[in-house]
Amino acid sequence: MPVRQATATGSVTATGPAATSDPATAAGPAAAAGSPAEQGMAGLLRPYAWSFAAVVLLQVIGAVAGLAPLLAVVELGRALLSPGPVDHGHVWSVVVAGAAGLFVRLVFTAASAGIGHVLDGRVQLAFRRRLAARLGHVPIGWFSRRRTGELAKVVGQDVSAVHPFIAHAPGELVSAFAVPLVSLVYLFAVDWRLTLITLIPVVLAVALVPLLMLPARTREQEEFDAAMGRIADSVVEFVQGIAVVKAFGGSGRAHRAFLTAADDFVGAFNRWVRGVSQVAAGMQLALSPPFVLLVVLAGGAALIATGGMAPADLLPFLLLGLGLTAPVAALGHGLDDMQAARRAVGRIKDVLAVRSLPEPAHPVAPRGHRVELRGVRFGYEAGREVLRGIDLMLEPGTVTAVVGPSGSGKSTLVRLLPRFFDPTHGSVLLGGADLRGIGSRDLYRTVSFVFQDVRLLRASVADNIALAVPYADRDDVVRAARLANIHDRILELPRGYETVIGEEAGLSGGEAQRISMARALLADTPVLVLDEATAFADPQTEQAVRRALATLEGDRTILVIAHRLETVADADTVVVLEDGEIVERGAPAELLARNGRFAAFWRSHRSALADETESRTESLAETESRTETESQIESRTEIETHDGVPRGDEAR
Amino acid sequence: MIRMLLRVLGPEYAPALRRTVILMTVTAAAEGLSYALLVPVLRALLGDTPADAGPWLAAFGTAVAGYAVLRYVSDLSGMRVGTTMLRGMYHRLGGHLARLPVGWYGAGRVGEVSVMAGQGLLQAMSIMAHLLAPFIAALVTPLTIVAVMLAFDWRLGLAALAAAPVVAAIQVRTARSTAAADAERHERDKEAAGRVVEFLQAQPVLRAGGRAGERFELLDGSLRELQRASRRTVLATLPGAVGLTFTVQAVFTGVLVLGAHLALGGGIGAAEVLTILVLAARCADPLLSLSDIGGKLRSARAELDRLDTVLRTEPLPEPREPVRPVRHDLEFASVTFRHGGRTVIDDLSVSVPQGQRLAVVGPSGAGKSTLLQLLARFHDVDAGAVRVGGVDVRAMSTEVLMAQIAVVFQDVYLFDGTIEENIRLGRPDASGAEVRAAASAARLEEVIGRLPGGWAANVGEGGALLSGGERQRVSIARALLKDAPVVLLDEVTSALDPVNEAAVHDGIERLMAGRTVVMVAHRMRTVRRADRVVFLDGGRIVEEGGHDELLRRGGRYAGFWEISAPAEADRAASA
Repeated sequence: MPVRQATATGSVTATGPAATSDPATAAGPAAAAGSPAEQGMAGLLRPYAWSFAAVVLLQVIGAVAGLAPLLAVVELGRALLSPGPVDHGHVWSVVVAGAAGLFVRLVFTAASAGIGHVLDGRVQLAFRRRLAARLGHVPIGWFSRRRTGELAKVVGQDVSAVHPFIAHAPGELVSAFAVPLVSLVYLFAVDWRLTLITLIPVVLAVALVPLLMLPARTREQEEFDAAMGRIADSVVEFVQGIAVVKAFGGSGRAHRAFLTAADDFVGAFNRWVRGVSQVAAGMQLALSPPFVLLVVLAGGAALIATGGMAPADLLPFLLLGLGLTAPVAALGHGLDDMQAARRAVGRIKDVLAVRSLPEPAHPVAPRGHRVELRGVRFGYEAGREVLRGIDLMLEPGTVTAVVGPSGSGKSTLVRLLPRFFDPTHGSVLLGGADLRGIGSRDLYRTVSFVFQDVRLLRASVADNIALAVPYADRDDVVRAARLANIHDRILELPRGYETVIGEEAGLSGGEAQRISMARALLADTPVLVLDEATAFADPQTEQAVRRALATLEGDRTILVIAHRLETVADADTVVVLEDGEIVERGAPAELLARNGRFAAFWRSHRSALADETESRTESLAETESRTETESQIESRTEIETHDGVPRGDEAR
Repeated sequence: MIRMLLRVLGPEYAPALRRTVILMTVTAAAEGLSYALLVPVLRALLGDTPADAGPWLAAFGTAVAGYAVLRYVSDLSGMRVGTTMLRGMYHRLGGHLARLPVGWYGAGRVGEVSVMAGQGLLQAMSIMAHLLAPFIAALVTPLTIVAVMLAFDWRLGLAALAAAPVVAAIQVRTARSTAAADAERHERDKEAAGRVVEFLQAQPVLRAGGRAGERFELLDGSLRELQRASRRTVLATLPGAVGLTFTVQAVFTGVLVLGAHLALGGGIGAAEVLTILVLAARCADPLLSLSDIGGKLRSARAELDRLDTVLRTEPLPEPREPVRPVRHDLEFASVTFRHGGRTVIDDLSVSVPQGQRLAVVGPSGAGKSTLLQLLARFHDVDAGAVRVGGVDVRAMSTEVLMAQIAVVFQDVYLFDGTIEENIRLGRPDASGAEVRAAASAARLEEVIGRLPGGWAANVGEGGALLSGGERQRVSIARALLKDAPVVLLDEVTSALDPVNEAAVHDGIERLMAGRTVVMVAHRMRTVRRADRVVFLDGGRIVEEGGHDELLRRGGRYAGFWEISAPAEADRAASA
């Protein structure tokens, strides 16, 4: 009995033998020998093998019992049509047997469907947990190449799309073949000639199947899929670009692109439908009850008239013959859903197959926190290196500033430290140990980072700050929040530190970045990696970053993508990155004196900054209390005259 | 259901849809009626004169042929109408999305709309192509068969008819009880999807806390909830499905018992009873498939509901007699704007004389960007008026208003195409030389030089192949090319390295020359270029005046900028 679960994405029926997802196969030893992903799927399904068996068994018993009432009609016919007086007792026992069959069918199929769906829920939860666990271990860098929405879809919709395989396919598929098989045996026993005739519609329908598999059809199907993909792309573009589209008059372009994609899609759909529909309609017709009945009656009439078949023997064919079409119908319908489910399973397996950054078998503990990059090369894709041979030493107690034009590889470089990626060549060493040899727990206890793309969890502010230090004291959390310049703002929230972000209050981008600063400050790791661009969301965040850099002195190793001149001037070492290579390095003063790339960069930055500083000086000079700032400007002037650069420690 | 389908489709498809539904109904009835001929056929075959069956069998053959033609035509027509409607639907949805106010496009919309326009639409339209015909057949054919049974034997016919009200009641009840469970499940689905996104985005931090290994409770909780919700959905569907099966089987058993009783009592011929039982079996199969089809229909309907909701969202009203402004001064007159239950702009008045520059400064969430959005009429105000050249923006046609304004957004979206195409969006009829001039004024040449393919280089979806600063420069070039009298700038300063920043500022300076400008400013350097500054907090103007004047006043504005001063001062003092 088909109990249907209406999912958000639509309930789908899949009734095909998909090797990868048919649990019977997937749980088998053959699949287990395959890729890790397959092992994952099989491993996931193995604990449920008995439940699956129960679902199938119950369904088959129920479905076969469903034949009982039809057979009862047949027996009733034989009794009534037989010459001589009718045996009342026999008739009533036949009727009771039919009713009993119906009852068995009701109970067993209901049980099968119920168990199947509960099982489905469990398997889906297990799949999702497995996916979450895998996603919790893949290299962080892997995420940057993917859209989160896409991955969320795998965990959500794709797992749901497997539903028919688990809840429906095993039982329905087996019974779609078991019931006709039983009927066929019975019918052969009754009259083999009429059985063959009854099979004519099935043969006709099957004969049409190859027409659905023609190369042209396959091509149309592929075009259809491609057009569907284009529609999805154009919709995303349409929606994301809507503000631009509107602001630049006439929603023409994107709208047209969408409509073109839509028309293309409908065209492809049309071609596909036209190619398939006549054949499909023909199949439907061949399998339709009136046609099957006509064939059976015509054959039966001929056999009764000429072959001496007993009229009563016609009845089973009228009643059971129709059921013989079930397997073909099952194969024909739900083909789309089956393919959709198979694609979904493919995507799930892709995610499960992603390898984590290998954890060391014998983790080494870093000694100290000097960071060293040795001959590091890295590319996101083969043949296009983003970093091309980086040698760099970051000493404890120093600040290293990375500068360089956009696209020079700065962000990639700093992301190697928290091991978002492993270098393709060379190595990154922390305290003398290769990052690949350090356990991830140790690594993240040593390295923390503040990057621009901050997302807060829908959880309390305190939990958000303490995310990396789950058992932190409230006092420590508050101290970190103060340092990150966000404490006052938190107190303004409806429930202070207990406010659930995203439900009770929203925070701006800059505020979110300050929360992220607080996280890093609370984690209090000896190595800190920071992207200063973060600071530019608003002045408060800028101050937070600056304060953090000033507070975190001492023994820490700090690597910062510098955006502000002050940071560059205060750094112990400046590294100029261009096109994936370090073109200059040294103390800021040294580099200025060398009058190379850094000096050019400095001048362009200064000219860009000049009027701002001016404006600040002019305005501030008028307010007497602010004259100290002028000395800061003077000290900056010194830099330009190459007299000497205030080293970070001097300035402090 | 049909009514909803018609509303979503629009009236022009009503005749085609109605024709198809009628065709499907006739086909289903023809199937039922053709079975009437089974009675004389079987009476002859099962009786004493099998030879008499010939003519009746021929008649049945003719009926089946008629049914075949009808069925074939109606199947093809269903698919054809389905595709035509699909096309119409895409155009309707596309046109509607283009008219919806930009304000409607919040954060979650991208995913929602793309799912809707992709699979959602297809699923909604599958009602036409795949679901409607079986559904109609599952209802109409059994009813016709029961009518045939009634004609041959009223007692057995009535017994079979007893199923009708029960089946109807079960369908209605199931629809109602599953609706709630489905809605809850949909909610849980969304919730879980949100948690997954969160979990993914928080990965770096979670790992930093060494928490990647353990189950992340926020996510796991929502996954468990999802499982519970789907179990509830099953529980809501199961009684209906079991009830339906039970009813159909009970009635079949009833007919069987009654038939046996009548036959034994001699009240009816054996052939008639057997024929009617064959017919009853023909009734049962389609009825049993109802719960299956019903489930599919319900989820397609849910999709249809979502489409309907979007299509019923009203675009901002267009004026009947649009006014064209002649001046380019800007004015907010006692403007109040609420969004998501919050007053974002609170009775705010400010004006910008033609050719002047107004800087808007304030803490995050003060409503700065909203001011720009109201000028561009991404939303309509709740009270007061926004005027360009003295004309209320609501009195202008969208084209005229947009022709007055060039906007540089905070987050720049580029279309997947070449840089040139993206710039040309500013003025589609611009000459190649003009496009190049705009690009060069925005200092794009070095970017173009760096890209493999130069001008013809593709920028990727959303401009993903360019850095933030580079995208910003493209958007400035676009605005320069548009050459509109009013410029709105939502300053982007994060994500810019110094080189980009200098380039962006150069471009912006050129863009502002001689135009009326409103800029949301995060950096003092930009503010210096403004004639006047308003300091915004909580949707109200807290301070207003020239930059220097406000600094001297030492109020909120001064405090806002001075935040950066003490650290410098400390350092300078100790140096």
